[in-house]
Amino acid sequence: MFISKDPFNVIIGGVGGQGNVLASQILGEMLVTQGYVVTIGETYGASQRGGAVMSHLRISARDPFSPLIPEGQCDLLIALEPVEGLRILDPYGNPRVMILLNTRPIYPIDVISGDSVYQEVSKVIGKIKELSRRVWTLNATEIALEMGDPIFSNMVMLGALCAIEVLPVSRKGFESVIRDLLPSRTQEENMKAFDRGREVVQELTPQTFLPP
Amino acid sequence: METGEKVNRGLKALEERVLKQDLCAGCGACLSLCPYLRSWKGRVVKLDDCNLEEGRCFGYCPRTDVDLNKVYEGIFGKGYEEIEVGPVRKIMMARAKEPLWTKKAQTGGVVSALIDFALQEGVIQAGILTPRDQDLLPQGRIVTSRKKILGSAGSTYVSGPTLEALNKGPWKGRERIGIVGLPCQVLALARMKTSGLEKRTPIDRVDLVIGLFCTWALDYKPFMAFLHERLDGRPVKKLHITPPPERILEVTSRGELHRIPVDDIRPFIRSSCRVCLDMTAELSDISVGTVEGREGWNTVIARTAMGQDLLRRAKDRGVIETRPLPKNNLNHLMEASLLKKRRALNALKEKGGIEKAYFTLPANLIKRILSEPREAMP
Amino acid sequence: MSSISQNAPGKTVLLMGNEAIARGALEAGVKVCAAYPGNPSSEIIGTLAKVADESGLHVEWSVNEKVALEVAAAASFAGLRGLCAMKQNGLNVASDFLLNLNLTGCGGGLVVVVADDPGGVSSSNEEDSRIFSKLGDLPLLEPADFQEAKEMTKSAFDLSEQLGLPVLIRSVTRVSHARGNVRLDELPQSGPKPGFESSRRFLAFPAAPNHRLLHERFDRAKPIFEESPFNFYRGPEKPELMVVTSGSGWMYSWEAVMNLRVQDRVGILKLGTTWPLPERFVLKHLKQADRILFIEEVDPFLENNIKESYAQNCLDLGLKAFFGKVSGDVPNVGELSPEIATRAIRTLLNVPYESRPADYALRAHEAASELVPARALGFCPGCPHRATYWAVKAALALDGREGFVLGDIGCYALGMGPSGFGQMKTMHAMGSGTGLACGFGQLGRFGLGQPVVAVCGDSTFYHAAMPALANARYNGANFLLLLLDNSSTAMTGFQPHPGTGLTATGGDAPVIDLKAICEVLGAHVEVVDPFDVAATIETLLRLLQDEEGVRVLILKRECALVSAKHQKRLYRVEVDQERCLGETCGCNRLCTRIFKCPGLMWDKGTGKARIDEAICTGCGVCAEICPGSAIRKEKT
Repeated sequence: MFISKDPFNVIIGGVGGQGNVLASQILGEMLVTQGYVVTIGETYGASQRGGAVMSHLRISARDPFSPLIPEGQCDLLIALEPVEGLRILDPYGNPRVMILLNTRPIYPIDVISGDSVYQEVSKVIGKIKELSRRVWTLNATEIALEMGDPIFSNMVMLGALCAIEVLPVSRKGFESVIRDLLPSRTQEENMKAFDRGREVVQELTPQTFLPP
Repeated sequence: METGEKVNRGLKALEERVLKQDLCAGCGACLSLCPYLRSWKGRVVKLDDCNLEEGRCFGYCPRTDVDLNKVYEGIFGKGYEEIEVGPVRKIMMARAKEPLWTKKAQTGGVVSALIDFALQEGVIQAGILTPRDQDLLPQGRIVTSRKKILGSAGSTYVSGPTLEALNKGPWKGRERIGIVGLPCQVLALARMKTSGLEKRTPIDRVDLVIGLFCTWALDYKPFMAFLHERLDGRPVKKLHITPPPERILEVTSRGELHRIPVDDIRPFIRSSCRVCLDMTAELSDISVGTVEGREGWNTVIARTAMGQDLLRRAKDRGVIETRPLPKNNLNHLMEASLLKKRRALNALKEKGGIEKAYFTLPANLIKRILSEPREAMP
Repeated sequence: MSSISQNAPGKTVLLMGNEAIARGALEAGVKVCAAYPGNPSSEIIGTLAKVADESGLHVEWSVNEKVALEVAAAASFAGLRGLCAMKQNGLNVASDFLLNLNLTGCGGGLVVVVADDPGGVSSSNEEDSRIFSKLGDLPLLEPADFQEAKEMTKSAFDLSEQLGLPVLIRSVTRVSHARGNVRLDELPQSGPKPGFESSRRFLAFPAAPNHRLLHERFDRAKPIFEESPFNFYRGPEKPELMVVTSGSGWMYSWEAVMNLRVQDRVGILKLGTTWPLPERFVLKHLKQADRILFIEEVDPFLENNIKESYAQNCLDLGLKAFFGKVSGDVPNVGELSPEIATRAIRTLLNVPYESRPADYALRAHEAASELVPARALGFCPGCPHRATYWAVKAALALDGREGFVLGDIGCYALGMGPSGFGQMKTMHAMGSGTGLACGFGQLGRFGLGQPVVAVCGDSTFYHAAMPALANARYNGANFLLLLLDNSSTAMTGFQPHPGTGLTATGGDAPVIDLKAICEVLGAHVEVVDPFDVAATIETLLRLLQDEEGVRVLILKRECALVSAKHQKRLYRVEVDQERCLGETCGCNRLCTRIFKCPGLMWDKGTGKARIDEAICTGCGVCAEICPGSAIRKEKT
């Protein structure tokens, strides 16, 4: 499998603390080992403290590209949280964009305190569907909680990514990268999370999803 | 105010109209109801905003939109009619018979004796009194023993948030309660009883209210700062204001007696006292004060059947002895009470007119208070 | 097995810019590395610390950047190669030493990496550190991508030894924290033994002759830079528009030119050796174009330096029009982006460009405006600082004299926002809160009746606040210092410090006890656990009344994220749905509306608060403050 355009632009977006950066690193490594030139731009630091975070991945067969994707040029958005998905589509979306979405909301402080509103998740997902070419969804956080710790949700998402076959990534590639990158005692559980993601991800089609 | 406009009757209004206007009486009715109001060194502080349109803090406060007629009606079954010293069933002089109460108290010791009696008789299971903590900070406390009653005896010229103890507890859930309070606190209690807001504190179990006569009370924080400076930081043990014509504040500190003219401490009177219409704690079951010119005796007014009954029983059992109150004293009392009301009404005018103010009273009553000379009681 | 130290020349790996710099230093045979954590530079020394033992290096977190630079300089004086890394503010702290070091010169290669944070995303300020190279007559390199980050660092050590001067490398967030392909090269086998030659002295004094010597050394960089492979030109021989750029500006410019399809009209002059300017090289290319556009991060450093050079040589070069931050074609505040480069170029060339259909952009924007709430920064769930500021807010309100809080840098700086209840009122540099308090604490004699409170973190204390506290005692300033001891340099990545008992490389270190230091300095010191809210408020109130000089209250409780790594949660927390008072009078949603810990949720449907298990870390503070006693905490 190859990338469908060059550069292929991926954004992984979510809330600080969700494991955004690690996910982008693992994905990047998986692609580098296959010979791609990858540039990853991150925004973290203060934004880790519950703020919105984004990783921009530029994937090319030939050249390194800037660590920030130009506006309107995202090809694949991996959204770890629903409104973060919409927040990213505002500057970076376009009619061709494909989206892999974790459907479980994380409420910002302003919403918890009542100063701001988080609308119905189905409404948010509906809008995401309107603004994209293809959408796949799963509740990665719930799966991770079933496994005992929300921290696994990013691994679940990577498994889902593998299943949707938009990028040249495989289970074998994932396994070998995390063996190098992460402590060996976490290997088994990370693979489990990855496999669960692969199993449950589903595409939103007119048959499976009625917008509100 | 426009009709139809939503008027806040919660913390927002309480802050605007009472706390920010420095009219807080420090009675404690609004404390321990919620986390947003707390008291420290006698001063009530708003910690955070509350956006509820209506709240108990506003509803219980003795300085917010008090419809006096309605409140008196709720307690006595008739409106605000007796303008001199409030509803009176019986008025007398009295003193406690047990030396235990008279030697500690500066006057007749009647309040302590009555609370003790009520506890012994099982009329109440708990009293709320206002002992002074270290450094003389008054705090409401639940009292169930003689020793604790003794600890609360003695005059206090500084008011504290007595009613916080009612809200805070801890309560077992069935105690009948007696409270001793100043007129502002007694008014707050009456509002708590008649407000119609959901009750989360045991106001319905308050069976006995003993009110203390009061012309003014001192604001703890600035007053203590003043005293500390005057005394070079030495701790204060006891306060006593000598009767007229002398009017000296005697301060006992480390065995020494310091004398300060009362005029020097007038700046520390709570602003709230200047708009107070009640010298004799009119909404109580029993009101108690001094007798001018007679040390060792109290003026006692029985206002309700409950109060009258308790006094009769206490007298019959030899807990107190009573005598008729001399006409002179009664006249002076009514004069003083009316004077306080007039002063308050004039002060309220300065705060924005009586209509916009903190109390509502029928206009004819206001006119009567302001113009007519007092009449002797029949 | 870390990528950084692997012996695999020719292998391509994905490295962060900071990791590439670290690798470059390893390939150059660096021996001593020192830094103070600072975003976006922390990973440079952080990465080297992880391989210090296996690679035979000394790596340390120093207490501040000045000491860190002195540590690295010592290695250089002894003939070894030294590396020091910092963020822009760190260079300010180290500058006094640096601006003497340039006069003394150094021995073994010494490389100083400063990682700027354009836009101040994770900083108190925004600053262009390149000015220090001009100020100090020091050579400056700017990596534009990750391979360059490695190569420049490696060659900087050679350059430093050639010149006898420290070499500055200026990186930015988008290079330091971005990742890209890097080809590894050989690692050296052995290195020299250190020795301090007493005949070789490092004295800045006397200044004037040393200044002349500095100029001589510095000038030797010029011919080297003229030939440097880090400078190049891409584009037509005589472009309509020439873009001059350095650092991250290179990638944005190149991609903008491609997206606009103006490769035949625009040329890009990319500089990697920014100071001294490779003047001949620059002017040679400048001659080929009439319109010059400068694209660089933060200040018009290249822009103004090249204009100076142009002015000196303008008779040869003819009239030119310059565009950039001075003309307003590029914003002179904030970070660069692909859009800024695109907009500047297409405006000057009058090229229409739409990155996506305009109606999509409108729809996406409308959807986001309607459905996406702001996501403010705040304290993590379980953060002791939230509890601290909660207590401070209550204590200052109860005290009633309008006390105020002077703060500084770290996680607790979020006390300036809603998460910290807006308590912190000033923020400048490390330790500035305590320093300001030394000033405010003298104003009582002029009538300042408001209590003065300063906050400072544990790491910040060792960095800068200690001298301020000594000053407070010595000069009799009257204030309350809150020392927030969460056993970590948290904001920058939980690095250890002198109070934690661990070194950068994970070894044991003696604990330099904060309480003991404050006591020795003569302050009145107390310690309290911020999770015990009632005790903290009471202690604060009591200490606020005491007006005799400086008092220190240490709020001791480990950072929630650090705790999570080595111990299970303190409590299992649950909201009793029956007892929760919700929106009614008596509570009105204290926990979710005012306390605002992200571990709590307000369920509109049931009208009750709930714990969000995916977020709650079990600190139990909400249980302490619930007015209905509806929140239960069970020890796990």
